[in-house]
Amino acid sequence: MSEATEMPREHELDTSWMDNMAEWGVSAKPGKRGLTLADIQVGSYGELPKVSDNMTGRPRGSTARPEAYRVGAYQVHTLSEIWLENAEYLYEEALQRQWSSATDIPWHTLKPLPDDVEEAECLLCTFFNEVEFVAGDVPARWIARTTPDYLEARNVLSAQVMDEARHMDVFRKRALANGGGLMRMSGATSGFVGSIDLARDFTEMSTRLHISGEGAVLTMFRMGELFGQNDAEKTMYRLCAQDEARHVAFGVMHLRCLSETAPERREEIECYLDEAEDQLMAGQQNPAGRQSESSEALAVLLGGGIEHYDEGHKKLLVIRRRQLKEYMKRVISAGFADRFENGRSPVPAQYAATA
Amino acid sequence: MVFPSEEWFQQVREVYNSDRDLHSGGGGACDTTAGFSVGENRYFIEFSGLDCAQVRQCSEEDLEVTDFVLEMPLETWQAMLEDVQKNGKASSNLTLNSIDLELEEGIAFSPVDDQYRQDLFYRYNQNFQDFFDASSRVETTFESQGN
Repeated sequence: MSEATEMPREHELDTSWMDNMAEWGVSAKPGKRGLTLADIQVGSYGELPKVSDNMTGRPRGSTARPEAYRVGAYQVHTLSEIWLENAEYLYEEALQRQWSSATDIPWHTLKPLPDDVEEAECLLCTFFNEVEFVAGDVPARWIARTTPDYLEARNVLSAQVMDEARHMDVFRKRALANGGGLMRMSGATSGFVGSIDLARDFTEMSTRLHISGEGAVLTMFRMGELFGQNDAEKTMYRLCAQDEARHVAFGVMHLRCLSETAPERREEIECYLDEAEDQLMAGQQNPAGRQSESSEALAVLLGGGIEHYDEGHKKLLVIRRRQLKEYMKRVISAGFADRFENGRSPVPAQYAATA
Repeated sequence: MVFPSEEWFQQVREVYNSDRDLHSGGGGACDTTAGFSVGENRYFIEFSGLDCAQVRQCSEEDLEVTDFVLEMPLETWQAMLEDVQKNGKASSNLTLNSIDLELEEGIAFSPVDDQYRQDLFYRYNQNFQDFFDASSRVETTFESQGN
């Protein structure tokens, strides 16, 4: 005789879960870019709470489950802390503009370079490897700290983490693909760049990372089309620049949104900008900034070799000037123009000194 | 087709929209309006999703609503397009981004001086490059050649 437990032959089917639907009868329609996050902002599903009390990971708009555990003590649970006007759009843009470091870079165009040029390129690749680690690690931490009610902003940050992973790998690939290798680390992650990870507030982090850090790096990546020695390098930098511009856009739009919805925080933001301008925009950790190993490497590349260093350095100064100008205009676009007119910011003087 | 002319831009638009192979990696969805300032002529272009939705000749005032304007000397436009004709796509020193960096004030500006909108040129750079690279399939002559 079998010792297996005899199951009841009949049991009552409990379909009470069918009565727990949230808003029903929703029919979001795809637009010309497919069914996007913007298209599904319908009815209660599109309602963003100004303050979120969701600590259970409940998807926005779904029915609450009373016995659900409090899985997340989300630090970011006020809309103004993280929101931006075009989060849905930035996320979709990030998804649709992904590229492959394996197949979209014409690696076959790499050719052996003079030692000084190869070493300079590899030094920059080492530097970018370091800073892109930070640019990936930091947003990743903040994703888990943000209420799922603000899923659109979280998703943009998730896409950024993927972008930064690709940047890390493409610079690593370049360093290892042309007879060179990695160089001594710059140590940038122990200074201002590293301090991005010490931010205790999302906007503090975003101001440091997206506005100051990535804004400066955006200029560098764009410059890659000038100092790249072949199509592979030029393409690599150009595609990275597009991603970086999207990350900068997140920071500018978030800061603009915050300054409009939480004006009581403006002075606090000014302090974050003070700190960034004193350190990153002027400092050694900005490759286009004061003399450093990475700025020397840039000058070597821009000049086309160490024997043309002075010529390369002149080009670097022109680009440095543009970097400062674009930084100021982004901060102005975010709603903080006063600091450049009232003497608070040192950047206008630095900009004038580069003339 | 004579460059610059609305017909030339329309022809390039048709080529760009008709062959996805012309949209390179890193391209993709793009939503922006931009202007081209070519000598005395002005053109308005709109990208929507994966397509160039429209391109037309316009007035100076029409440019004010665009996100950014690309402005460079006529001879630089011509050099860029001759390079595209010759190589099938812009060679590295004559891409839009390279030209922008070579000139001290750049070639891109926001008509309302908003860096966020000017940054769209950087965000969607590949789409604009792909668009002009598509002109390699359009037989092009230039006004300066007496056409």
